[in-house]
Amino acid sequence: MADIVLSGVSKYFKGEKAAVYDLDLEVEDGEFVVVVGPSGCGKTTTLRMLAGFETPTKGEIRIGGKVMNQVPPKDRDLAMVFQNYALFPHMTIEKNLAFGMKIRRNPKSSIKKEVEEIAGMLGITPLLGRKPGELSGGERQRVALGRALLRRPQVFLLDEPLSNLDAALRAQMRVELKRIHAQFPVTTIYVTHDQVEAMTMADRVALMQGGRLQQIAKPETLYEKPSNIFVASFVGTPKINFFPGKLSRSVDGLAIDFLSMKQHLNGSLGAKLLPLPVEDVTVGFRPEDIRLAPRDEGDLPVVTATVELVEPLGSETNVVARVMDQVVTCKFPARTGLTSGDVIRLEFDILQMKLFDQESSMHLN
Amino acid sequence: MAIEELEIPVLDEEAPKSDGYATRRIRPGLFQGVSVNVVLALLGVVFLLPLIWLLDASLNPHASAALTTPAWSLKNFRAALAAGAGGAIKNSLYLAIVSTIVATVVSTLAAFVLSRRRVPFKASLLLLILFLTGLPVTLLLIPIFEIFVHLGWVDSPFYTSLVLAATSVPFTIWLLKNFIDQVPRELEEAAAIEGASELRILWRIVIPLAMPGILVASILTFINSWGSFLIPLVLDANPSSQPGAVGIYQFMSANGVVHFGPLAAYSILFSAPVVVLYLICSRWLNGGFAFAGGVKG
Repeated sequence: MADIVLSGVSKYFKGEKAAVYDLDLEVEDGEFVVVVGPSGCGKTTTLRMLAGFETPTKGEIRIGGKVMNQVPPKDRDLAMVFQNYALFPHMTIEKNLAFGMKIRRNPKSSIKKEVEEIAGMLGITPLLGRKPGELSGGERQRVALGRALLRRPQVFLLDEPLSNLDAALRAQMRVELKRIHAQFPVTTIYVTHDQVEAMTMADRVALMQGGRLQQIAKPETLYEKPSNIFVASFVGTPKINFFPGKLSRSVDGLAIDFLSMKQHLNGSLGAKLLPLPVEDVTVGFRPEDIRLAPRDEGDLPVVTATVELVEPLGSETNVVARVMDQVVTCKFPARTGLTSGDVIRLEFDILQMKLFDQESSMHLN
Repeated sequence: MAIEELEIPVLDEEAPKSDGYATRRIRPGLFQGVSVNVVLALLGVVFLLPLIWLLDASLNPHASAALTTPAWSLKNFRAALAAGAGGAIKNSLYLAIVSTIVATVVSTLAAFVLSRRRVPFKASLLLLILFLTGLPVTLLLIPIFEIFVHLGWVDSPFYTSLVLAATSVPFTIWLLKNFIDQVPRELEEAAAIEGASELRILWRIVIPLAMPGILVASILTFINSWGSFLIPLVLDANPSSQPGAVGIYQFMSANGVVHFGPLAAYSILFSAPVVVLYLICSRWLNGGFAFAGGVKG
């Protein structure tokens, strides 16, 4: 078990712009960090640099306090689960699992015992005599996991291990992986493009885009306090709503104008934003923070909208409505009785409002 | 056309049933089938005729260039063995086995490096290797002979087999590189993460998966060396180390007369090991690639 520190790590491939740029990342001993982001964001390159398959162009990688930049993969004491499992097709499952231990010259009896133990834990004992070609995707994934666990490494690296599984199996394996991590609390770096995996499995989520780290925080923090517009829009389904807005300062204090509504910002929020030299902002509201307005006028801003699309999901309903020329996506509890064309009044929960500077797209509040 | 005017054909139960398309196909199809088979049979006969003659001549004590009724005598085989067929086969085996081992080892290592590692001017190097596969060995024999004389390597079966290996190496490197290219790199990365060194990765992962290619390369080198005439003739003048392809000439050059019977028997004896090799290896080669299951997609 070891901690991981990446300092100023950059990776340039010949003739292309940086795949990873100035990455600073610290992972504590035993932590489960998910590196997430869209395709091409640099997450797999980062993982490969940690594994030793790529050398950083700049910066330093430390695992367990030791600089690993020039250390070959076989000497880093890591285990990796590949997206395509990378099981040796000409060996039986038993030999696949025992491969690493044979290299380390473990005694035959202990190899057999450990292989059987892990196989039992992962439910793959009946498969030990078969070859990878005879197994299903889920079974192969468990074997790959077993091979990594048997390595007893100081760090686990997982490269989109669930992406080739069907949705039901993926959900099941998410739970199993967390359970395994609880049993073997090894420092883990898990790479995925799926935000659901990130949010459900991680102790902390590192969100990357364009080779740069956008934010690293606990899943709840990422959701409630996104550091910029990209983070806010990547996390959360349906996507957060963005509207152009304007901050205005007057004798009465600070007010925010958006969607033809004007709302005074009192209290701590107003006090925080007042001194900032910002006028043009992007206003963000998550779909669940927009509700059907009650009959009585409350304190919250209300606006009239026309329903365009209703998506019943069973436990909740997504409603896409139009306010003037803006499209608003809302999440309501099930059974709204709404249909396309209905005119509704929407109430925005100001306390959950997220304001972003229009130029820098950084989160202001 | 209005829908009401559309005529829907009704099946006439009384009309004679014709399976129109099938009937139309049978006659031309039959002609095509027969003519193709006749042509193939003729081609087969053309290719098989020399082999049939070979068998016939080897069993006929009065064999000639013509195809006769077999006489069923083993006299020719005895003559061939007396003339040194056994020894020649042994010499050929030595040359072929040594050259195959050397060429396969060298080519596998070279192909692995060319496939997996960053080599300066790799594209030019590969093009050069490809060009060398077409280089006629006759161009090189005189210079090689001079070098051999200088080094004292003439009349040595071992050094002769090295030259035979060298003539096969460009082609086998090219062949093996393409096979090794198909071994997924992820498997090597997985092995590296497990703690395997480069040699172990080559030995335990790459070679087993590229085995069909290695077998093909070995067989081709073996056959190439087995039938080699010019190189052993020039580089090894020692009659006791003559391989079969050189030895066969003794039945032809003496007095301008060709002794067809012993020549045919000698040829059959000389071909036997290669035929056996082919029969053994064809079963292994049917296994094909074992990648299915190792890597998804």
